[in-house]
Amino acid sequence: MRLTDTSVVIRPRTPWEAIDLGVLLAQRHRALLMTSWAIVTLPIFALLTLLLWDYPSVAVLVFWWLKPAYERLPLLILSQALFDSAPSLSQALKSYASALKPQLIASLTWRRLSLSRSFYQPVQQLEGLDGLARAQRINVLGQKDSRAARLLTALGSTLEMTFWIGLMVLFYAMIPPQIEADWSWRSLLDVEGEWNWLEHLTNGFYALVLIVWGPVYVSCGFALYLNRRTALEAWDIELGFRKLRQRVLGSALTFLLGGVLALTLLPSSSMAESASYASMTDSSVADEIPSESGYSCPLPPLDNPQTDENVAPPDSPRLLNQTLTSQASQNAIHAVLEQPPFKNPKPVSGWRVAPPRHDARQDAQSAETPSWLARLVVGLLNAGKTLSAVFGALLWTLLGLIVVWVIWRYRAWFATFVGKSPPKAAAPQDIPHQLFGLQVRAETLPTDVADAAERLWQQSPRDALSLLYRALLSRLLTDYGLPLKSADTEGQILARIAELKQSSLDDFSHELTRHWQNLAYGHQLPPDQARQTLCSGWRKLFAPGAGA
Amino acid sequence: MSLSHAEPGCAAPLALLDTRVRMETPEGIDLILRPAGLMSRSIAFGIDLAIRGVLLGALFFVLGTLGDFGTGLFMLALFLGTWGYMVLFEVLHQGRTPGKQIMGLRVIHDDGTPIGWSASVLRNLLRFVDMLPFGYCVGGFTCLQHPLFKRLGDLAAGTLVIYRDLPPQRPPLAEATAINPPLPLSLEEQRTLQAFAERHGTLSPARAQELAAIVTQPLQLATSPDPHSPVQQLNGIARSLAGSS
Repeated sequence: MRLTDTSVVIRPRTPWEAIDLGVLLAQRHRALLMTSWAIVTLPIFALLTLLLWDYPSVAVLVFWWLKPAYERLPLLILSQALFDSAPSLSQALKSYASALKPQLIASLTWRRLSLSRSFYQPVQQLEGLDGLARAQRINVLGQKDSRAARLLTALGSTLEMTFWIGLMVLFYAMIPPQIEADWSWRSLLDVEGEWNWLEHLTNGFYALVLIVWGPVYVSCGFALYLNRRTALEAWDIELGFRKLRQRVLGSALTFLLGGVLALTLLPSSSMAESASYASMTDSSVADEIPSESGYSCPLPPLDNPQTDENVAPPDSPRLLNQTLTSQASQNAIHAVLEQPPFKNPKPVSGWRVAPPRHDARQDAQSAETPSWLARLVVGLLNAGKTLSAVFGALLWTLLGLIVVWVIWRYRAWFATFVGKSPPKAAAPQDIPHQLFGLQVRAETLPTDVADAAERLWQQSPRDALSLLYRALLSRLLTDYGLPLKSADTEGQILARIAELKQSSLDDFSHELTRHWQNLAYGHQLPPDQARQTLCSGWRKLFAPGAGA
Repeated sequence: MSLSHAEPGCAAPLALLDTRVRMETPEGIDLILRPAGLMSRSIAFGIDLAIRGVLLGALFFVLGTLGDFGTGLFMLALFLGTWGYMVLFEVLHQGRTPGKQIMGLRVIHDDGTPIGWSASVLRNLLRFVDMLPFGYCVGGFTCLQHPLFKRLGDLAAGTLVIYRDLPPQRPPLAEATAINPPLPLSLEEQRTLQAFAERHGTLSPARAQELAAIVTQPLQLATSPDPHSPVQQLNGIARSLAGSS
């Protein structure tokens, strides 16, 4: 066993963490552990099932009782895997036979019900202790962590039962409902034990659960044991000390080796050393070294001891024999550093006390005006500045408000100047196209209505009057914007015309309406002079020259 | 954020197994987390279950006197107890339910940040999947198989149950006169020496001498006739490393 070869990190842990490490250890060797466990346990389970076919409960009890025998195999694998590479499956199974023999009877009888089984298992299997030696060892180991080991076993059996019941529930959940109904009532009548196979099947679930949990349980106990020994024997300290020893003695070895090499190379190296020493001390050689300005950098003092006193300070001009001298680059750097990303100058105005000047007159004056007074004055001035800013803002706001108020107050007056478009008579779609069944749209009328009416009067006065009346309605709609509707009667139209208070239009309309009503409803032809009055009236009202 | 197992870089083909994981924050700080496994977590859950059972049982008897109205109230309390207990404690009590508090556990996000509402609600809602088919079978199985001991709810919510770091207590050092270390020691070596002096009491004298014998030569310890001398000198070095306080 070499601690430096472990595959886990050796350090003292809390018992719970040690158990977690055991779970991790079992995870790493999961396949090997589970396969080997299955290879060992499943044949035993099959054998027990066959032998005790009529007693399924006894079979599973015996299978459960033999657990310490199976548990030796995972421990064997894990103990090898901890300090060495894990054994192969066949190797593990071969060495299992030899690991099984010692103290098997004890494990299967009076130690079977020990709750700390997995914790103490390594003592007998790996350390090979028995009898008094084992008892003493267990006594030392069990001074701590034995509670965790007992809890591990208790929790482990709970987990086994949980997984077992879980598998059974899963199995029953998978059965189709018809068969299940059939089963449940047949199992009630199960007297002859014809359903033994079902019980053996559920026992088989237990064997499956153990394949998963058995190795983990052993691994957890083993990890607890390792943790306890780490604490007892300070394995981690031993590891640290060994590393320290390796580092120090290893480096000492190389040092020694280097010393030997130096001794063998002594003549030539010492000669070289003396030569360099001579060059350093000889002033003639030193004078041959070019003066400092010839070099791009000030030389280290060791190379040129003569210039040790007047070595140039770091901020002296350098790199003088090239285009970009140190001074130029310094200036460029300063210029960049003065620009916005690095410096953001912001003008701040205000009153503050001037820094006192050191001359006698000022001192005398400052004695007269104490500093608190000066600070008060400055404070007042600054407060005044703030107040003036506030008042300025207030005044500007007031001005804005006054402007807004003036505009609001004289909005009507402004409206006359601002080109306000006259309100539209009505939207075009609101203008009716027909009144009393007459077309009143402007485009259906001739351009000169009066002439057309005079001409029509000869043939049929009815058409002429109709034309005039239509034209009047059309003009009323478009020019005067009267809101006429198709439901209005002639009387209502006259009333609306009267509202316009234009006597000539009113008279003309009355005249025309009277003639039109007489003709349309009373079939009375208008008198001949009506033609003249109506047409001239129309011309007077609506001719292009007659401003309406 | 990257999770990696601690202490890498050994000669072994596989990284050394450890129960600690190292998590690196964007600031380049390594956080050492210790994920908690199935055993301690199931005990913590058992404690929580017992607390809830006792509280709800008492409530049942108290509210049972109120008739149907009491039953209704009890149903509400049962709902809150089932769904709210874990979530409220986890979010408002730094990831610790009373059971976790007793077992020294806490719940955090994968990246080490404190658990929030959504993650807590999600991980506790998924308990009903982990419970399938009986008594947390799914959760227990995934917990045993996952390298960070996560159950399904933890996987879905991106949470991790870890052991809380309790404030370390300074163990008493073995009494010895301080000696300066004869050569500069790395931090790791200094810690090992400190641990030697701190755990001196738990080691048998023979084992302590055996350990001291390993470093007698590199640390140039005087091997006088007294066999305790190297141990005493190691303790002295540890005392000088610890300082006066």
